[in-house]
Amino acid sequence: MLAPQMLGISIILPFIAAALCLINVPTLRSALVIGTGVVVSLASLMLVQSETFSLTPGSMLGINPDGLIAVLDFALLFVILGIAYRLKNKLIAVLTLLQIVPLAFLELFMNPGESMGPALYVDQFSMIMCMVISIVGSLICLYGLPYMREHEHHLKLEKSRQGRFFFFMVLFLGAMNGLVFSNNLLWLYFFWEVTTLCSFMLIKHDGTEIAVKNATRALWMNMLGGVAFVFAMIIFRSQGLPLSLQEIITAESASKLALLPVGLLCFAGFTKAAQMPFQSWLCGAMVAPTPISALLHSSTMVKAGVYLVIRLAPAFAGTLFSNYVALFGAFTFLAAAVLALSQSNGKKILAYSTISNLGMIVACAGINTPAAISAAVLLIVFHAISKALMFLCVGSIEQKIGSRDIEDMRGLVDIMPRTTMMAAIGMVTLFLPPFGALLSKWMAVEASAHLPLVVIMLALGSALTMVFWGRWLGMIMTSVVPDKALQTERMPLFFSVPLWTLAVSAVVISFAAPGLYTSMVLPVLERFYSADLYTAARGVISNNIGMFAIYPVFVVMALGVIYAVRASSAKRFFRRGDYVTPYVCGLQDPADSRRLGFKGPLGVWSEFKTTNYYMENIIGESRITGWINLVAIGILIILLAGVF
Amino acid sequence: MGFFQELLHKSRMKSPWLIHFDCGSCNGCDIEVLACLTPVYDVERFGVLNIGNPKHADILVVSGTVNPRNAKVLKNIYDQMPEPKAVIAIGACGTSGGVFREAYNVLGGVDKVIPVDVYVPGCPSKPEAIIDGVVLALEKLKVRQPEKNTEPLVADLKKAREFYENREERQVTG
Amino acid sequence: MDFKTFSFVILAVILAPIAGGLLAGIDRRLTAWFQGRFGPPILQPFYDVIKLLGKDRQVVNYWQIFCVHIYLISAVLCVALFAMQADLLMIFFVMTIGAVFMVVGAMAVPSPYSQLGAQRELIQMLTYEPLLIIVFVGIYLVTGSFKIDDILTYERPIFLMLPLLYLVLTFALTIKLRKSPFDISTSHHAHQEVVRGVLTEYSGPYLAILEIAHWYEIVLILAICGLFWSTSWIGLVVLLALTYMAEIIIDNVTPRMTWKWMLTYVWAVGISLSFFNMALLYAKSL
Repeated sequence: MLAPQMLGISIILPFIAAALCLINVPTLRSALVIGTGVVVSLASLMLVQSETFSLTPGSMLGINPDGLIAVLDFALLFVILGIAYRLKNKLIAVLTLLQIVPLAFLELFMNPGESMGPALYVDQFSMIMCMVISIVGSLICLYGLPYMREHEHHLKLEKSRQGRFFFFMVLFLGAMNGLVFSNNLLWLYFFWEVTTLCSFMLIKHDGTEIAVKNATRALWMNMLGGVAFVFAMIIFRSQGLPLSLQEIITAESASKLALLPVGLLCFAGFTKAAQMPFQSWLCGAMVAPTPISALLHSSTMVKAGVYLVIRLAPAFAGTLFSNYVALFGAFTFLAAAVLALSQSNGKKILAYSTISNLGMIVACAGINTPAAISAAVLLIVFHAISKALMFLCVGSIEQKIGSRDIEDMRGLVDIMPRTTMMAAIGMVTLFLPPFGALLSKWMAVEASAHLPLVVIMLALGSALTMVFWGRWLGMIMTSVVPDKALQTERMPLFFSVPLWTLAVSAVVISFAAPGLYTSMVLPVLERFYSADLYTAARGVISNNIGMFAIYPVFVVMALGVIYAVRASSAKRFFRRGDYVTPYVCGLQDPADSRRLGFKGPLGVWSEFKTTNYYMENIIGESRITGWINLVAIGILIILLAGVF
Repeated sequence: MGFFQELLHKSRMKSPWLIHFDCGSCNGCDIEVLACLTPVYDVERFGVLNIGNPKHADILVVSGTVNPRNAKVLKNIYDQMPEPKAVIAIGACGTSGGVFREAYNVLGGVDKVIPVDVYVPGCPSKPEAIIDGVVLALEKLKVRQPEKNTEPLVADLKKAREFYENREERQVTG
Repeated sequence: MDFKTFSFVILAVILAPIAGGLLAGIDRRLTAWFQGRFGPPILQPFYDVIKLLGKDRQVVNYWQIFCVHIYLISAVLCVALFAMQADLLMIFFVMTIGAVFMVVGAMAVPSPYSQLGAQRELIQMLTYEPLLIIVFVGIYLVTGSFKIDDILTYERPIFLMLPLLYLVLTFALTIKLRKSPFDISTSHHAHQEVVRGVLTEYSGPYLAILEIAHWYEIVLILAICGLFWSTSWIGLVVLLALTYMAEIIIDNVTPRMTWKWMLTYVWAVGISLSFFNMALLYAKSL
């Protein structure tokens, strides 16, 4: 069957293509990026057709893959040590040494290969992750081609750094694919650290002081996760458990101490997914160019962290630890939503919203019922698509208007109508029914209904998301109907193709959510759970306590939208000419009624200004981040102590 | 179709929403207008609501004299009201400028700027008279009359200015 | 969907605005009675809506029209879904489509009153939404399901198990009905708040559509209140009548408060009452 070859392509091809991207011939690089994108996307789609299988690759070209991975692992760690030396950062050096030494101990003395299962394991969950990574990731790399050209033109660089940029972006795709297919924990660890390195190099791509500082912070926080990872592996071996994910989660003997390494692995996942108190690295990473934020820090890399937590969920099902994970995730969800409310920087809002959604995924993994796990997996898919769309839109907007502050995006629909529509679709698919992200939230709330503290935090956070998305959506739509025709917006081809594809797929895949659930999520759940599973019949997803009628609501709302668009079409009004200006108590300029303002006292013209409620002195980032971190650390300590 | 027309006309008469604008009044008439809303006169039983927004209102109730500054404001508010609409000028000042009509900045009554449908005299007008005036204006609300007052404000002001300029000729007393 | 459910849905969609309008009319009549005057006829809201439908169209931009229609469609869909006895939480989320689009339509106009009203409307949404979700979770904890057809099969009135949660629901009802002390984004009865707040820039037929959509939403929330005594018709009617009477009295005796007070007070009281009720439930089950 072709499946193993597809698997190999999706992991190895990006590595090779990335190396070739370093060659400084722009057309070759573009061709490589486009070609790799198309090929890995097709490979992931073909993989979906196959059944669950596992694979241990034999020696390639005479090299044993296990040995290769081990050598590359150490090489990577020494590279990071070198980086720490160059940055003169003791913390990173210490954390790296804390990984090198125990890893060496593990490799040499603890016989890691004993009773090892297959190295790669492919089931529907990995296949969906691969699809998301390959397709959304390729689209983002495609977007990066004209974006980086404009970016470097704007910065007036003499020597193009695009080679390095695309090297790490494409390498990252391969690493993520390897990560989601790895069953061998050592392989997973290797790919994990590759993503950490890519993240570091990409955040500091621009080379400014703040970029380097934020990249360093990202590096040490992710290294902390790496340390936890290595120690988890050592504890597994010391208990005689094989370093194989599937063996761990299906292990019959769940002795008390076996939860500790699982807890440490979850901790590694939390650092990678920028949960509280590690959220500062993700917010700081927003200084990087937009394709990086879209690919690494919303759609894919942070999903690796929650992917690991969801994978491990059956291992800690039904324990007190699970409840604490749910509490931790819900707290992150709520805290990040509160912080997003206080922000006016567009990319920071998107960053906090990402952390918030990841918190909900972690909470679902902690609730550990089939309904919750369905919610988690579906949310990964839908959030990745819509958030990538939002980041790409914000990137285009920033390049056009020169600002990422949402206050400057007022009236965007008159300046960039098409991008505004894409952004509106992106926002609507993130927080409104009947789209997939809201379907997942509905599943999560219903699943958590028996845990009062968790459900109250989810309810509060959900209401907060309405506020900050709703006001952003309203602001970009502000317009006074112009007298002249709308200037048509010119978008480069590689901007419009990703944006259109993501927008259309966000809507279409939401419509196909029942089918997606039945084919991709249900088979994985049926391995571990037998009761209370959702079933999708005739477009309605239901279980014993709730039901969501996707097809009916979709069809009715689609018809409604068509009717509303017809009712509001411009032609009917250009005929009657019934435009008026806003009401300002009659004090408008009678000569030019389009002028927004009013005649104040003494006949002085004043412009009116409204802003959003940011409530910075109550929930501002600087005021509450300290408290949030404190509470989060407290919950983490209880969580890790709770394994005993 | 006839039934719906009838229903529409009946509804227009049964639900007149007011916006009250004070041009330059001493507030005497304004107090009487607001007194209509109190339980003693209870004009809400006719469906009258004092909506403060011209976009929602049917009847513009104006009191006070018109001067160049608030002429523009008055016209702007009148233009923002959708048809069908009616205008009621309250009090002696609103009708013709009252005792102030020969002051240096007064253009005159409300009809110098916008077409008036009902004049309610009095200084101040009694609430009963105001309610009478509103009821009279209801007939006007039945049908749209878009052709009234299509002249822009500048021409209106010019006419009003000319009238003012010829003040000496109009003066009655010595 | 069988014929019985289908006819029930059609009936609900047609009768809901009529019921909502009559309720609004009775509201104004009762308020007038409390204030010692006569008040308008009970059919007054219908006269208002028909008059508005007959006015000229005037808009600032055509995005407003789109949002108004989406609000109406989502409100109708909610009532239809309730008549189909669908999932309560899903109905709640579909209701938020309309609420958000009304805010977006108001923010789409560059008018200070409209935008300020929209911001306050968002704060109002922020206030009542978590409480509604908690009420639904409470209903689930008692009846074991979020689906209305399962809830209706519960043999005792839910009100007896969840009295405090019913109080929390009335907070949400007061905010939705735009009654004092929570009428901070726009108020009914022409009590102005920043001119007309969220509704300032809507006029004519679009204001009429907003009013009709509002009636649908009121019927929906009252239907959710009605779930709390679904076992007998008399109990249902008495409960709803007492609730609405209490709403009118509260409206007449309280002033309009600030959004900061509303947010802190309603969240604090609402969440505390929810915790108490859940603790009561837990204690009863022991």
